[in-house]
Amino acid sequence: MSWNKVAVVGAGLIKMGELFEQSYEQMAAGAFDAAVASVDKGFEPHQVDAAFVATQRGTLWGQEGIGGNTIPTAIGLAGIPCTRIENACPSGSDAFRVGAMAVASGVHDVVLVIGVEKMRDKSSEEGLLSRAAAGHPIFTRGETAPVLFAPFATRHMHEFGTTREMLASVAVKNHYNGARDPYAHFQNEITVDDVLKSPSVCHPLHLLDCCPQTDGAAAVLLVNAERVREFTDKPVYAAGFGVATDHPYLHEKDSFTEIKVTRMASQRAYAMAGVGPGDIDCAEVHDCFTITEILDIEDLGFFDKGDGGRASLEGDTSLTGRIPVNTSGGLLAKGHPIGATGVAQITECWWQLRGEAGERQVETRNGYALQHNAGGRGSGVAVVNILTNRTDTS
Amino acid sequence: MTVRVLGVGAAAPELRLRAADVGAAWGRGGRGEVAVCAPDEDTLTLAWQAADRALAAAGVESGQIDALYWGTSRPPFAEGPSFAFLAASLSLAATVGGALCAGSTHAGMEALAAGTDAISAGSARVALVIASDALRPGPGTGFEARCGAGAAALVLAVDGPVTATIGARVTRTRPFLDRYRGDGEVDNRDMYDARLFREQIFLPVVRDVAENLAAFDVRAWSLPDPDGRLGAVLARDVRAPITTSSTIYGAIGDAGAAAALLGGIAALDAAGLVAIVGTGGGRTTGVLVNAETPVPGAALTADAISGGRPASYAEALRARGQLRPVGETIPMGVPPESAMFVRGADEMLGLLGGRCVDCGTISTPPSIHPHCINCGGPKLEPVALARHGRVHTFVVNQTMPAPFVAPLPIVVLDMDDGARLMLQAIGDGSDIEIGRQVALVLRKYAHERGVPVYGFKAQPKKEVAS
Ligand SMILES: [Zn+2]
Repeated sequence: MSWNKVAVVGAGLIKMGELFEQSYEQMAAGAFDAAVASVDKGFEPHQVDAAFVATQRGTLWGQEGIGGNTIPTAIGLAGIPCTRIENACPSGSDAFRVGAMAVASGVHDVVLVIGVEKMRDKSSEEGLLSRAAAGHPIFTRGETAPVLFAPFATRHMHEFGTTREMLASVAVKNHYNGARDPYAHFQNEITVDDVLKSPSVCHPLHLLDCCPQTDGAAAVLLVNAERVREFTDKPVYAAGFGVATDHPYLHEKDSFTEIKVTRMASQRAYAMAGVGPGDIDCAEVHDCFTITEILDIEDLGFFDKGDGGRASLEGDTSLTGRIPVNTSGGLLAKGHPIGATGVAQITECWWQLRGEAGERQVETRNGYALQHNAGGRGSGVAVVNILTNRTDTS
Repeated sequence: MTVRVLGVGAAAPELRLRAADVGAAWGRGGRGEVAVCAPDEDTLTLAWQAADRALAAAGVESGQIDALYWGTSRPPFAEGPSFAFLAASLSLAATVGGALCAGSTHAGMEALAAGTDAISAGSARVALVIASDALRPGPGTGFEARCGAGAAALVLAVDGPVTATIGARVTRTRPFLDRYRGDGEVDNRDMYDARLFREQIFLPVVRDVAENLAAFDVRAWSLPDPDGRLGAVLARDVRAPITTSSTIYGAIGDAGAAAALLGGIAALDAAGLVAIVGTGGGRTTGVLVNAETPVPGAALTADAISGGRPASYAEALRARGQLRPVGETIPMGVPPESAMFVRGADEMLGLLGGRCVDCGTISTPPSIHPHCINCGGPKLEPVALARHGRVHTFVVNQTMPAPFVAPLPIVVLDMDDGARLMLQAIGDGSDIEIGRQVALVLRKYAHERGVPVYGFKAQPKKEVAS
């Protein structure tokens, strides 16, 4: 039986992209306003009891030690309790989970979960690429973000015959979806050939196998399920969630054909929600690179191990496929403003479960959507949240 | 006391530069080629490679070495822990004695003399003598196309199998300027006057030393040849039947402080008397080595310095640090003077792991693993990691900010002892595939705040594991 102690009554985001003209604070205010405006029966900002903010890389906009105090001031709620959650790429997902626990504990009735990330205030070289020189001076030297996932592509191709065309089909599908998402960073469709012919970034991954560097913000409003009818008659609930961790260094991984934390976190989330992978109608998963989505759809249990490449190539994850994946365009097309990513994914799940996803709307027969991020030197931590529009389970 | 040579080893760097390409840049001609260090090589990594080979040839464990004598005109630090870094990378004991000899290309002979004296005096039972160099000539100077790089190492001991023994030594010192760089200068200056150098500085004193050794029945000679002609003049003077140094100079150019010992160890592949003459900085020394049988490792000298990858003049200048990009580079997240380098000094330079007493799993590196990655157990013992393994998976990074240079292959390795590592690999990645066997060799990972950061990298072998 699903958990359903906490409901999502509002969700929103700003148009993702290279938002040179907006400050971190302006992006946060935009996302908060969008979430407030989305509440069916109206919502006053001062109804927020507490906030949890996800920002992964304050360093990219020159403020290393951001605390919880930045956001309340930015959204006109200075004084409220606010805590920053930093848990690598799943920071936004984890802020949602922590926010939900804060509501379920009874301490706060109404919680804002907001993810905000400035990726482009610094140059690419001084920004994300500078991680090549971070960390251990030998074991991680040269380790840019693609280095965290490309070894999995090499090994997956070696063991299962996965091809570059299969990888490319993920990018093609997500760009197709992104072209139908007004909030996506990229709104253009691409072809398999475009991906294959794009420049090599980190063999075997090419430019269009990689997500862009995107500024963005997203926010959701959580309330105690007992008070949900004050805000909406179309509630969406947190059905369950799971988190898992693995060793931080790549050389410590048991396997380079699965992301173990994704499997472990999803098993915990499925158990909490009382469902299995077959009950999920659509999923927003971590596709920082094309190979990552192929691993995700295997490790989340949607497809057998080794079958993810074929499934992607044959359209099993398209809007009309067996299990639509990344209907929003995913990280590859919508973008990956790290702290905001998980919250934006939850927003897409919320729209899908409420039938508000427009051109991207999929059939939600079972009433369950799954959201997933993995990160922490690539695959050190994963968070899975399952949402539902079903009220019969609570 | 008799000083025996138990084994020898040689090394040359990765790049080969054609003299004609250097000449073309300055409107001159040029013949032959020289060896040049890749950006991640220097006199310390060359010394490590030669010493690793000499120890293997001698069948000596690094823990048996009592003293290290290292000669080079360019230690990686003008002032700093050059000797200590090399000792740690070779896993020598913390009690190791010895000295770093530097200051001129005579340093290799000084290291050999000091190692010999240490054994003779009984202060060391097993000594490792290394000469390595990587000359950095001023661009456009007359001898630029002659300047090379290389290393030679000898394991000396008071006892051991009958191979070769160190014999008579002749030395001269004269207060003349030959080739030099001024205080604080990084490139070597041109000769002031080539004829003055030849007739008044080089030939009189080197001839004097060589003729003293020619009184013995010398089978093979190692003679200095800074300009490509003087070596032949000396060989004629002493009526040398074999001049092994000419082969070395032909393959890698003038290897500076390593040149004399490289020619010397190359001659130890057969029984007979070998004369080794080295010069530089106003000093000249000659040493006789009497090989009763071929010395282990000597026959591998030519192979060890052959090959190499052709490099353009621009690539060689960039590798020597003489052609630099304008702009900022990305600093290391962990400054090389900081605490992590103190905690990790031995495990990084000597490549250590922590083996779980309970389950045998190796966690790497030990300083960040208080607990086993397999069973969580708290009891780990430090172990030296295997130096051979094979590729489990890999990438070739093409997109990095300066100071990184693409392509950069990064490999995940299954080592022969069961440990798993992720390291950079040498080359452009085109010879890497899953299953490829690799050997780990010492290279530079970074050079920052004047500090070279050394660690092991994977060198792909020809074979692919089945
Ligand atoms: Zn253990």
